[in-house]
Amino acid sequence: MTELDTSETIGLRMTRQLPATPEEVFDAYTDAEQQKIWFSILDEEPGIVEIEVDLRVGGTQKAVWGPDRDTLFTEVQTFLEIDRPHRLVTESTGNDPSGQTMTTHVVVTFEPHDGGTLVTVEQTGFPTPEMRDFFETMAWVGAFDRIEAYLTRR
Amino acid sequence: MVQQQGLDRAFGALADETRRGILTRLGDGPATITELATPADMTLTGIRKHVDVLEAAGLVTTEKVGRVRQVRLGTERLDDAMAWISFYQRLWERRLDGLEAYFTLRNGASDGTKGTES
Repeated sequence: MTELDTSETIGLRMTRQLPATPEEVFDAYTDAEQQKIWFSILDEEPGIVEIEVDLRVGGTQKAVWGPDRDTLFTEVQTFLEIDRPHRLVTESTGNDPSGQTMTTHVVVTFEPHDGGTLVTVEQTGFPTPEMRDFFETMAWVGAFDRIEAYLTRR
Repeated sequence: MVQQQGLDRAFGALADETRRGILTRLGDGPATITELATPADMTLTGIRKHVDVLEAAGLVTTEKVGRVRQVRLGTERLDDAMAWISFYQRLWERRLDGLEAYFTLRNGASDGTKGTES
């Protein structure tokens, strides 16, 4: 499930049910060697994936990926809170191939659910209060759809 | 950081209801200053000021056509914001899909009785 959360703050909220215990999911999610496997497990074409993890508060996790050396995406997450196997709070800085960056706040929770683990990702903290106001305004939500349609058919 | 400042300016410009109204109208296609002023019940000068703010933020572009000024959506800033949401959406989908495939494969491999069903 993916949704743009427009009720409280702008951000992404995604959930996924996984067939493993919270401990297993937390460890696979944070361990560099396991990440190297699952991060590209569904790639049909081999690309570039580099993962470095320093799992401690104040430490960072760096992921670099892309189809080739000229088209690389980077995400560096700084760990703010580590509560194995329940919760992970980070500050994420993304870099796209054109060199733009964006820093946001990420909370990932791992809850036992239905014999497996329910993972919830909540990402918030886009640049300004105005941006939040912008997405909170219901009048704007319809406009956003229209502008998106406009951008798509451009 | 220049990009981030640009985004700040864009979202600052969007904090005003009249300016959001202008963008909504422009979502249907380009309009002149006069056409924008009519439904908003505002003076041409008032609308022009709002359009100037939106243009400085990169949210609209304007072009003089004869004696009128044609206003249309400037997509660069909107593209920026959309691009970041899209960037992270794809990243998290990649992670969650990857983890799901990883554990599904592992569970299949450790449970011989289930065979090789896909």
